[in-house]
Amino acid sequence: MNGLGDILRHPVGLTIGVPLLTGLIGRLLPRAWRREQGIVAVAGTAVAAMLAWRVFAAGGLMPGAGPWLVVDGLSRFVLAAVATFGFLIALFSLGHAAVPPVAREYYAYLAWTVGIACGAVLANDLILLLVLWGLLGLTLYVMIGLSGPDASAAAKKSFVIVGGSDCLLMLGIVIVWLLTGSTRMNGPVLPFTGGLTYAAFLCFAAAALAKAGAVPVHSWVPDCGEKALAPVTAFLPASLDKLLGIYLLARVTRGMFAPDACMNLVLMAVGAVTVVAAVMMALVQHDLKRLLSYHAVSQVGYMVLGIGAGTPLGLAGGLFHMLNNAVYKSALFLCAGAVEEKAGTTDLDRLGGLARAMPATFATCLTASLAISGIPPLNGFFSKWMVYQGIVQSAGAAGPVWVVWLAAAMIGSALTLASFAKVLHAVFLCKPAAGTDLREAREVNWAMRAPMLALAAVCVLFGVLAVPLPLRTMILPAAGGDTPMIGVWWSGTATAMMAAAFVFGLLLYAVSRAGRARECATYVGGEIVGASAAPAASVEVTGVDFYRTIEEMQPLQSIYAAAGKKLFDLYDVGTSVLFYFVEALRKAHGGVLPVYLTWVLAGLLILVWRLAQ
Amino acid sequence: MEMLPLTLQVLVFPGLLFAAAAGLVTSWVDRMVTARVQMRVGPPFLQPFYDVVKLMIKETCVPAGGARALFLAAPLAGLAGAALASTIIWRAFLARGSGFSGDVIVLLYLLTLPALAVILGSFASRNPLASLGGSREMKLLLAYELPFVLAVLAVVARTGALRLEEILAAPAAATRPSGIIALVVAVLCMQAKLTLVPFDAPEAETELSGGAYIEYSGPPLAVFKLTRAMMLFTMPVFLVAVFGGGIRLGDGVLPAVAGVLKVVGLVVATILIRNTAPRVRIDQAVRFFWGPATLAALVATGLVFVGL
Repeated sequence: MNGLGDILRHPVGLTIGVPLLTGLIGRLLPRAWRREQGIVAVAGTAVAAMLAWRVFAAGGLMPGAGPWLVVDGLSRFVLAAVATFGFLIALFSLGHAAVPPVAREYYAYLAWTVGIACGAVLANDLILLLVLWGLLGLTLYVMIGLSGPDASAAAKKSFVIVGGSDCLLMLGIVIVWLLTGSTRMNGPVLPFTGGLTYAAFLCFAAAALAKAGAVPVHSWVPDCGEKALAPVTAFLPASLDKLLGIYLLARVTRGMFAPDACMNLVLMAVGAVTVVAAVMMALVQHDLKRLLSYHAVSQVGYMVLGIGAGTPLGLAGGLFHMLNNAVYKSALFLCAGAVEEKAGTTDLDRLGGLARAMPATFATCLTASLAISGIPPLNGFFSKWMVYQGIVQSAGAAGPVWVVWLAAAMIGSALTLASFAKVLHAVFLCKPAAGTDLREAREVNWAMRAPMLALAAVCVLFGVLAVPLPLRTMILPAAGGDTPMIGVWWSGTATAMMAAAFVFGLLLYAVSRAGRARECATYVGGEIVGASAAPAASVEVTGVDFYRTIEEMQPLQSIYAAAGKKLFDLYDVGTSVLFYFVEALRKAHGGVLPVYLTWVLAGLLILVWRLAQ
Repeated sequence: MEMLPLTLQVLVFPGLLFAAAAGLVTSWVDRMVTARVQMRVGPPFLQPFYDVVKLMIKETCVPAGGARALFLAAPLAGLAGAALASTIIWRAFLARGSGFSGDVIVLLYLLTLPALAVILGSFASRNPLASLGGSREMKLLLAYELPFVLAVLAVVARTGALRLEEILAAPAAATRPSGIIALVVAVLCMQAKLTLVPFDAPEAETELSGGAYIEYSGPPLAVFKLTRAMMLFTMPVFLVAVFGGGIRLGDGVLPAVAGVLKVVGLVVATILIRNTAPRVRIDQAVRFFWGPATLAALVATGLVFVGL
């Protein structure tokens, strides 16, 4: 057993230690040094990211920490991703105008979250994992609450759901300990012998899914996304919590349990319902950040479907999708943050026409939107395609039901596209709605632009060069080795061919001199529209109501109405049930001093009476 | 086949130029049959080519205030998607199992690229009528994609294969009840995918004056027209490949002719539907595709699992 010093000097220990120390330094700096706090956080997370990539490249376990930490194909790639996202978000925050008022707490908790998350990913002991998992719930609560009193309800909701799932995790750990007498995560694989094993697996799965935000334990994500600061959402629910939740699910299904057909069926059902239900909700949202949050839920479905397929290809697809989602989803939230800063709102009804004013933001948003909708040759397509193949492979085990899962996943992809078409139209392309003045909007500064463009570039890179770059170096080692595809998509070759056709079209344009196009006024039935002082609001199309026809179709209308009443929100239903039973007790706690004094006096009298007897 | 470099294949044969030429001929057939149905003489054989060439030498107008780059790039993205899809399908006929190819999921995604191009292009026009057209195109895509995917999956479920070559090697799906139902569903979806009457709500000349295409002119419009022509030819070929055993080349003249006749049959079916049906509203189209069409596709898939 080596000393503490050895652990701290090793890159693995440093990856955890450096961000923790960074947070501490930031917390100790004076409150007024906002800029310096940001720079400290950026520097600290940058060092952590470099260390994490060194761990990733070197592999191997550090001496001495053997039973406590594990560095294998899965954990080292998630570690590198966690640390990198921490750095990118810190960089974005440096330029984001909403951060400075809360800079000291914000940067400290950001750095601590990175450190704790790195620890949780590396943890090999279930108790250690539980402690770090709980701490992450706490930092999540604090960071959501930072954006002011508006967010306190969302923070509480997140804490209750994520913290509540920690209890299930604890229960699962107790059962595993009862069955095996060990709390190691890389111990022998538990066979499904009795009800207890199923219970333990379901407890672990529930904890993982609550963290990742799958239906029905998803409802904290939209609330958090709407109320919290954009970089907080981009970091926590959009990337970090997905990485952690799906990491845990993958580790549990691969290293601890060997899920049978029944458990896989449960996972795939959860995945398919998550994909479709969440994207249907996203389709009808009016707020950009809330809309994006529903997609953050929906995308989890693909990862769960991949892992639930129970085939190596499905697992690899699920893990790849986890990584891809973190990339484009955080990019999208950063875009939302940029738009919010410059336009002062994320209400889709009041935005519009920002494509020219904010070209970099628009380019990022367009790329990430196409990636999340699974448009070839971007990264989202590749990982979805792998998940689909995994589902087809699972055909033998589960009977005809795989067709339903696959069709749900594929229509989910089209619905995602629809919802992002609406976003692109309402935020960047349409005329701003009447009464909105966005002429002052300008592109954001470089600290914000750099992370957005970097993430957009990764969307393209991981799609076009999927096999040589991410798959071979990160995903396949994490999923346990090379797996042959059953379909064919040579992403590099295909992209080159599409590029050739595109260039051919450009040549056509060049020959016919389409580049020297004349600008003409738009034609709206020959009418002059929006030119007068009072623009005719009735002919403006913001795109918010594009899917009204679908929304008003039965039975969808009733389902949307029920969702509006929060009937599908486990948290709200749960609180109503709870409050029904504790209502009487609540009434007794009126906060009126004389009432309390009366109770105390009555109690005293009863005591005296009892003692006197 | 392998003699040609892939760039030439995607640009000339069996990609862009081949599909475009075949598509323009198909559109001539369409216009001819339509003319005969309406007791007219119909255009000369080269008319579709003249139309495209004429657009090429016209001036390009971009809408004021629109997203210029996206407006001009969108048609090209659709063209690229259609060219690649055509290449992949024909390579399955020509160069079975060798080198670059694709599977049906890839093709399903590539074949949505032209529709996506129309949607993005119309949104970039900053015109309310174009926006409405684009949104209808989007809703139509949502609508037909579900039964279309299910119909194709019925074949995947039968053969257990995703690769087009393996599906082609198996007996044709349309020789069984499940395959016939799936094919009928797929033909209806194709009608919507090509935005032909009765599913032409995105363009709807009488209400939206061309809708999605309203601001397009000159070469970008020519590229859109070319892409549409390519799809008019490629979609029937795709259906023949998935449901009808494909076009067998290299086994003599008769099988090849039979394959081409299958494509012609699907095209004529499409033309007849378009000439005998009135336009439906977009909500009616969504209701139809998510209702009866999806149900029929599910029945087809169910029949596969009971062995029919």
